Amino acid sequence: MKTLLKYAAALLAVAMALAPIYWLVTISLKREIDQFASPPLWLGFTPTFRHYAGIFVHDAFGRYFLNSVIVSTGSTMIAIGLGLPAAYGLVRFRWPRDWARGISFWILSNRMLPPIVTIVPLFLMLRQVRLLNSLIGLILADTGLNLPFVIWMMRGFIEDLPREIEEAALLDGESRMGVLLRIVLPLVRPGLAATAVFCLIVAWNEFLFALILSQTQTAMTVPVGIAGHVTQYEIQWGAMSAAGVVAMLPVLIFAAAAQRYFVRGLSLGAIKG
Amino acid sequence: MSAWQMTAVREMRKTRRIPPGLIWVAPALLVLATLSIYPLLYLIKVSLTDIHGFTIAHYARLFHDRSFGVAVGQTLLYASVALTLEFLLGLALALLVDSLARGRALIRVGILAPMLLPPVVAAVIWRLIYNPEFGVLNGMLRQLGFNTANLTWTSGRLTAMLSVILVDVWEWTPFFFLLLGAGLQAIPAEPIEAARVDGAGYWRTLMDVIMPLLKPTILLALLLRSMDLLRIFDQIFILTQGGPGSATETISLYIYRTAFRFSNFGYAAAMSFIALMITMLAARGLMRVMKLR
Repeated sequence: MKTLLKYAAALLAVAMALAPIYWLVTISLKREIDQFASPPLWLGFTPTFRHYAGIFVHDAFGRYFLNSVIVSTGSTMIAIGLGLPAAYGLVRFRWPRDWARGISFWILSNRMLPPIVTIVPLFLMLRQVRLLNSLIGLILADTGLNLPFVIWMMRGFIEDLPREIEEAALLDGESRMGVLLRIVLPLVRPGLAATAVFCLIVAWNEFLFALILSQTQTAMTVPVGIAGHVTQYEIQWGAMSAAGVVAMLPVLIFAAAAQRYFVRGLSLGAIKG
Repeated sequence: MSAWQMTAVREMRKTRRIPPGLIWVAPALLVLATLSIYPLLYLIKVSLTDIHGFTIAHYARLFHDRSFGVAVGQTLLYASVALTLEFLLGLALALLVDSLARGRALIRVGILAPMLLPPVVAAVIWRLIYNPEFGVLNGMLRQLGFNTANLTWTSGRLTAMLSVILVDVWEWTPFFFLLLGAGLQAIPAEPIEAARVDGAGYWRTLMDVIMPLLKPTILLALLLRSMDLLRIFDQIFILTQGGPGSATETISLYIYRTAFRFSNFGYAAAMSFIALMITMLAARGLMRVMKLR
């Protein structure tokens, strides 16, 4: 009896978590008349894909989607490219006194800057160098979010490796770069992949920077495109919900791939769960 | 001397005083400095200048600006209420799921989903739900026989704040659920067994054995989450734009409005500096906790 109650409570929690998401999906598939039906229609409506066709044909949503892909992969690749060697350098080299720790925590403090604080100066700086409304500007801004994260995550993953293999390779005359690429990299690959997935999600979901740094279609990302639908005087439910589904699908798919490392990622590497 | 130390010594000798690892870290540091130190210095400069040159007027204005005080107060209200609810719910859920024999993995995946959505999408979902006329929430309440004429959720002056907080709770309770769940799994079974053997009931075991062991994880989760709560922007921007009136305006939204609607960058910069100081309190606590690990 007690076990049954527990399962009921757990299932209720799952239902509360998923029902709103399910509702979004149904709205995106309903004709207008079903969207506003009273009482609400949870099942048993005739699905239509009109709203999906609509956002790609009328609203340049394909363009936003492409921009989002470019910005998130671009900033992720830069963050990994700079962050992996930095993490290796911090973990595997001998540093005078407390340097490695001091540098690491300074890097972490960057992650803690509220975006609203950096966005005002970033906006003014990028305006000066004429990088507003450009994908490059957005990639740079998102790199600032992801780089500290990559360094912290990879520091933890490299620390977890046994040193002996690397030592042996160094003795055999392998260069440091060779050790990183041929020995460390294959061993940390799962962790690196998970870290990359987290970066992709952060950049994909990022809203404030994109809202301010891309005000024309050339660099607008998916979340900003969706916001455009919302803040208009009349809300187009079909378009808005279809766009929402399109925006969330890649995240859910990616997240499934990195599930094992959620706790580690969310705690900035502090919990190795 | 191990091979490792020999290499290290060789590298130290080669470069004398510059630590050899610096070359590996320098590119990342340079990029971060460009994206954080320089902007911060720039921010301070902007906050201390107007068209005539140096001024402290922007900071002086903070003290008379009621809207700023309201935004700070509402941010703290939003953050503390959401943090408390998310923590308690997340802890309860973590304890519940931890005690189940089967199906834990599946339940976990189900509960996690809201946290992964782009915040903008989460907010869009709740706009569909909260809509007074066509939303599913009032629709269901009407089905149950309630009169929903006055239930305006995000567009009501009194209910708006509560409504946006509930969205945050829906979205981020999974965060505590996940982190505290991992913390629970890391607790060794022996002390709990020992308490049981000594005749301690569930509550006694929870309060005297489990909670103290879970404390470091709880502290970490609370600090991480509070930093994000203090900067809340996306969901409120989509749900209410800070309204009705300024009923849900937070620091981030007020800075946004000042800078990018009214183009008053100097004043926005001064407010940003204060916002930075507020978050730094949480950040310093967090750093201390992470250093202990």
